[in-house]
Amino acid sequence: MRELPYIAAIEEAIRQEMDRDESVLLFGQNIATTENDPFLAAFGHDRVRVTPISETAEIGMAVGAALAGYRPVVELYMAEFMLVAMDQIVNEAPRFRYMSGGQVKVPVVLKAGYGFTAGWAGQHTGSIYGMFMGVPGLKIALPATAADAKGLMATAIRDDNPVVFFHHYLLTLAPGEVPEGEYLVPFGQASIVRPGSDVTIVATGWMVGRAVAAAERLAGEGVSAEVIDPRTLAPLDTDTIIESVSRTGHLVLVDQATRHASASAVIAAEVADAGFGYLKAPIRQVTALDTPVPYSKPMEEYVLPDEDKIVDAVRRVLSPVSVT
Amino acid sequence: MADTHGLGQDRLVWMFTQMLRIREFEERVKRSFEELPGLLRGHTHLADGAEASIVGSLTVLQPGDQILTTYRCHGYPIVLGTDPKAMMAEIFGKATGLCRGYGGSMHLTDPARGFLGTSGIVGQGIPQATGAAYAAQIARKNQVVLCFFGDGASKQGAFHESLNIASLWKLPIVYVMENNSYNVVTRVEQEDANAAAGEPLSVKARAYSMPGVTVDGGDPVAVYGEVAAAAARARAGNGPTLVESKVYRLSAHGNIIVPPGIPLHFPEHEAIAVFGDTEEYEAAKRGDPVPRFRARLIADGTLTAEGADAIAAEVRQEMQGAIDFGASSPFPEPADAVKFVYA
Amino acid sequence: MPAPITPNDGPPRAPAAAAGPAVALHLLATMWRIRLFEEEVSRQQRAGLVRGLVHLSVGQEAVAAGVCPLLRAGDLVYTGHRGHGHAIAKGVPMDRLLAELMGRADGVCRGLGGSMHVVDVEHGLMGATGVVAGNLPLAVGSALAARLRGQDQVTAVFFGDGAVQAGYFHESVNLATLWRLPVVFVCENNGFAEFTPRSAHTVVERVSDVVAPYGLTRETVDGNDVLAVRDAASALAAAAGAGPALLECLTHRLRGHYEGDPQKYREAISQAEWQEKDPIAVLRRRGLASGWFTEEETLTAERTAAEAVAGAVRFASASAFPPADLMEQLVYAPAEAP
Repeated sequence: MRELPYIAAIEEAIRQEMDRDESVLLFGQNIATTENDPFLAAFGHDRVRVTPISETAEIGMAVGAALAGYRPVVELYMAEFMLVAMDQIVNEAPRFRYMSGGQVKVPVVLKAGYGFTAGWAGQHTGSIYGMFMGVPGLKIALPATAADAKGLMATAIRDDNPVVFFHHYLLTLAPGEVPEGEYLVPFGQASIVRPGSDVTIVATGWMVGRAVAAAERLAGEGVSAEVIDPRTLAPLDTDTIIESVSRTGHLVLVDQATRHASASAVIAAEVADAGFGYLKAPIRQVTALDTPVPYSKPMEEYVLPDEDKIVDAVRRVLSPVSVT
Repeated sequence: MADTHGLGQDRLVWMFTQMLRIREFEERVKRSFEELPGLLRGHTHLADGAEASIVGSLTVLQPGDQILTTYRCHGYPIVLGTDPKAMMAEIFGKATGLCRGYGGSMHLTDPARGFLGTSGIVGQGIPQATGAAYAAQIARKNQVVLCFFGDGASKQGAFHESLNIASLWKLPIVYVMENNSYNVVTRVEQEDANAAAGEPLSVKARAYSMPGVTVDGGDPVAVYGEVAAAAARARAGNGPTLVESKVYRLSAHGNIIVPPGIPLHFPEHEAIAVFGDTEEYEAAKRGDPVPRFRARLIADGTLTAEGADAIAAEVRQEMQGAIDFGASSPFPEPADAVKFVYA
Repeated sequence: MPAPITPNDGPPRAPAAAAGPAVALHLLATMWRIRLFEEEVSRQQRAGLVRGLVHLSVGQEAVAAGVCPLLRAGDLVYTGHRGHGHAIAKGVPMDRLLAELMGRADGVCRGLGGSMHVVDVEHGLMGATGVVAGNLPLAVGSALAARLRGQDQVTAVFFGDGAVQAGYFHESVNLATLWRLPVVFVCENNGFAEFTPRSAHTVVERVSDVVAPYGLTRETVDGNDVLAVRDAASALAAAAGAGPALLECLTHRLRGHYEGDPQKYREAISQAEWQEKDPIAVLRRRGLASGWFTEEETLTAERTAAEAVAGAVRFASASAFPPADLMEQLVYAPAEAP
C-alpha cells in the first residue's frame, strides 16, 4: 500500500468527501490564501474560504451553515484557539438538535491541532481533548496513524453531529500506509495496535507510538503488552478495553494530557465500574503532570509521559508488591 | 395614510392580526403563571412592545428565507405560521410541543418554516445566522436571512466578527437589532459607548463599511420599509445591513427566578423596579405599538373598530385553544430524555 | 461596591518634546538593538538553541522604538506573539530576554514562557499572549486598575491588524471608551494577519476606521517612520488620561509570520523597496541629511548594539537550564503566610 504523511491523509479525506458531497464546505484561518491552493482550485470560492481571526464567528457560522443544510469543516489550527469560542462548541453546536426535539442537526467538523510539545510553550501545546469529553452531543476523534487520520476524518464529515477532530501536531509528517479511495474508520471502535497477554496499555495520539515502543522494550523482559488506541474518546469503546483487561488482568493508561479530569481518569473509572473483577493489580495512569506545558526543554520533558515512564508503570502493575 | 411601502389593505390587516396574535399569545403565557401554577418552569421572556418590529420585519420574508433569533422568541414563529398550540405545548413542556418538550420557551425551532432556531446566550445566534446567510449565498436561491438580536448583543465579540465577515463576503443577511434599551437590568447607556455618547447604535455599522439605519420599532410599516430595503440589497448581492429597531419591552426581562416552592411570576419592569422611573414606563405604555397601529388603521379607514374587535375576538379564541391544547397534552415519556442527543 | 470610575482629573501629560538630535540617535540605537537581537534569535533558532515558534518584528522596529521609550517607567505594556522589540524598547534587559528564549534559568520567566510569553513586571512588560487579540482585554483591565487606584498611568497594548477582526477587539474598545480608560491601542498594521492579506479579512482598509463609531482619539501614521510614530504616540499617550486612543502604524513585516515560514502567500519585497521601508534606513538617511548625527555615530550605534547582543549571547549561553521540577512549584500561587 502507498504511504502518506498523516496530514496528507487528512487532506485526502477532506478532498474525497468534498468531491463526493457538494454540501461539504471548508473554511478557516490561513487556508486557501492564493488561487493556487489545491482546495480552492478544485472546489472554488463558494465552498473554500479563508476567514479572519474570528473563532466565535467561524464556529458559529459553521453551526448556522449546518442548520441550513451544509457540512462545514472548520480549520482551527490550534486546539487552544477553540477556547475563544467555547460557547459555540459546548453550548450551541451539540445542544441545538436536542433542544429542538430532533428537528435539526449540526454536522460540523472542527479540525484542531494539539499536543505540539516542541517548545511552543504554554498556549499552543495543550492536549485539551479531555475538556470536551463531558459534552453530550459532541464527538471527539484523535487519530494516531495516517490511515486512521483519513478514515476518522471521512467518518467525521459524514457524521450528522458536531465532531472535534484532534490532529496531533507531532504526527503531522509521520508517514503511514493509507488506503486509497473511500476509507472510513467507524467511531467508537478501538484499535488493538499490538496484541499481548500480560498487560493492557491504552494510549491515544502521539502516545500510541510511545506505548508501542515501551511494549517492544518490555517484550525483551518477557512481558507481553497489548496496546489499544481508542481512536475516538466520544464515543468511547470501553468494551474492547474491558475485554482486553479480562485477558491481561492489568491496565496502564497513557495520556499526554494532564491527569486531573482526564481521558485517562475516565477510562480508569469505566474499567473500575465494569471490569473491576478482572484486575489483578491497581490501574496505573501515566499522564502529564498537572501543570501548563513549560517552555524550556528539560522542563517540558519532565512533565510529559514518555517511554521510560510507561515501562516503569508496566513493571509496577506487574509486580504490585513493589508498589509503594 | 402615511407611506405604506406598497403594502395593501389586506396586508396591513394581516400585519395587525399578527401583532394581536403575538400579544395575545404572550399575555396568555404571562397569565399562565397564575392560572396554571406550576406548569411554566424556568425562564420565560416576553416580547410585548416589540410586536410591530417583529411583524414589520417578517412581512418582508419570501418563501425559502430564514431567520435566527434570541431566546425572546415567541413572536416570530407565530408570524411564520407555526401552530400556537404546538408552541404553547412546548412552553408547557408537553410531548405535543413544537420541540417535543426538549426546548421550552427559549428554544422554539421550526425549520420547515425557515425558523432555524435560537440561542439562549446573548449574541451567539449572530454568527449562526451569518453562517446560514453564507449557506444561502452559495445555494443561489435568492434567499435572505434575518438575524434578530438585542442591543446588549452588539457588545459581544460575536457581533463584531460576524458583521465584518458578512460585509466582506457580501452575505444576504439583515441584522435586525431590537434595541429595547435594557440588558436585563442594565440601561444601554451604562454599557454601550455609543449609547453613552447619545448616538444611535446603528453607527456601529460604520466599522464594517456597512449601511446602518435606525427605525421606530413601534411602527410596523416603517420597520417593513427599512427591512424590505435591506433585504432587497441583500438579495441583489450587495451585502448586509444593520437595522436598529427602537422598541420598548413592556414586560420585565423575564419571569422572576426564585427558590423552589415560591410561585414564579413576572416582576415590574426594570424602569420602575430598579430605576424608579415610572414616567419612562408609563410613556412607553402610552406608545404601545398594538393600540397605536389599531388606531392608525381605523383612522385611515383600513379597518373599522368593529372589524378590529372581531379580529381580536378570533385571536382570543385561537389562543384559548392553544392554552387548552397545551394544558391538556401529556408530558413526554421520561425515558425519552436520552433521545436526540446524537443524530 | 467598586470605586466609581472617574477620569483622571490631574494635569494632562505634556506631549514629549519634539525629537532633537539626541533623541534621534537614541531611537536609531534602539532600533539597531531590536534588529540585531532578532537576527541573533533567528540564528539561535536555526542552531536549535531557541525552540518552538518564533515571530520576529524585523521591519517593524520603529513602532516599538517610537512608542515604548516615551512611556514613563511606571506605564505598562502588553504585547503578543511578536513582542521582542516591545520588550527591548521598554527596557527589558537583552541578556535576560535572550536567556528566556533559550529556556534558561536566568530568563525573565525562568525559562517557563519562551518567545511568545515574555513578562517582566519590573520593567512594566506585563504580559504577552500567544492567542491573537487575547492581550486587549488584559490591557483594558490594567487601565481600569490604574483608574481605580487613581494612578496617572497609561497602558499601551500592541497588536497586529489581524487582531482587529477578533471579538476581543470590539469588546475591549467599547469598554475602554465607555469607561474612558487610559489605554493606548497600538496596532501594527503590516497588511498580513499571519499568512493572509488584510483584504481577505475585512473590507475596511484602515484600522482607525474600524473604531470610527466610537469617536475615540485615533491616528494612522507611517509606521516605518519612527519620528512620526513617536510624535503621534506622544500626543495619544497624553490624551489617554481622558480616555482611550488608537494608534495605527502602517508597517512592513520583512520576515515571515514565524521563522521558517516559506511565505508562499506573498511576493518577496525588492531590495529597492525595502530600502525605502526599512525604518532604520529611513531614520539614518533623514538624520544624516538633517545633521542630527554623523555617519560615525550611526556606525557606533550599530556596533554598540552588536556588542550588547554578543554579550547577551554569552550571558544566556552560560546560564543553566532551570531545575526540572521548577514548574511544579509555580502552577499555583502559595497560600499567603498567616
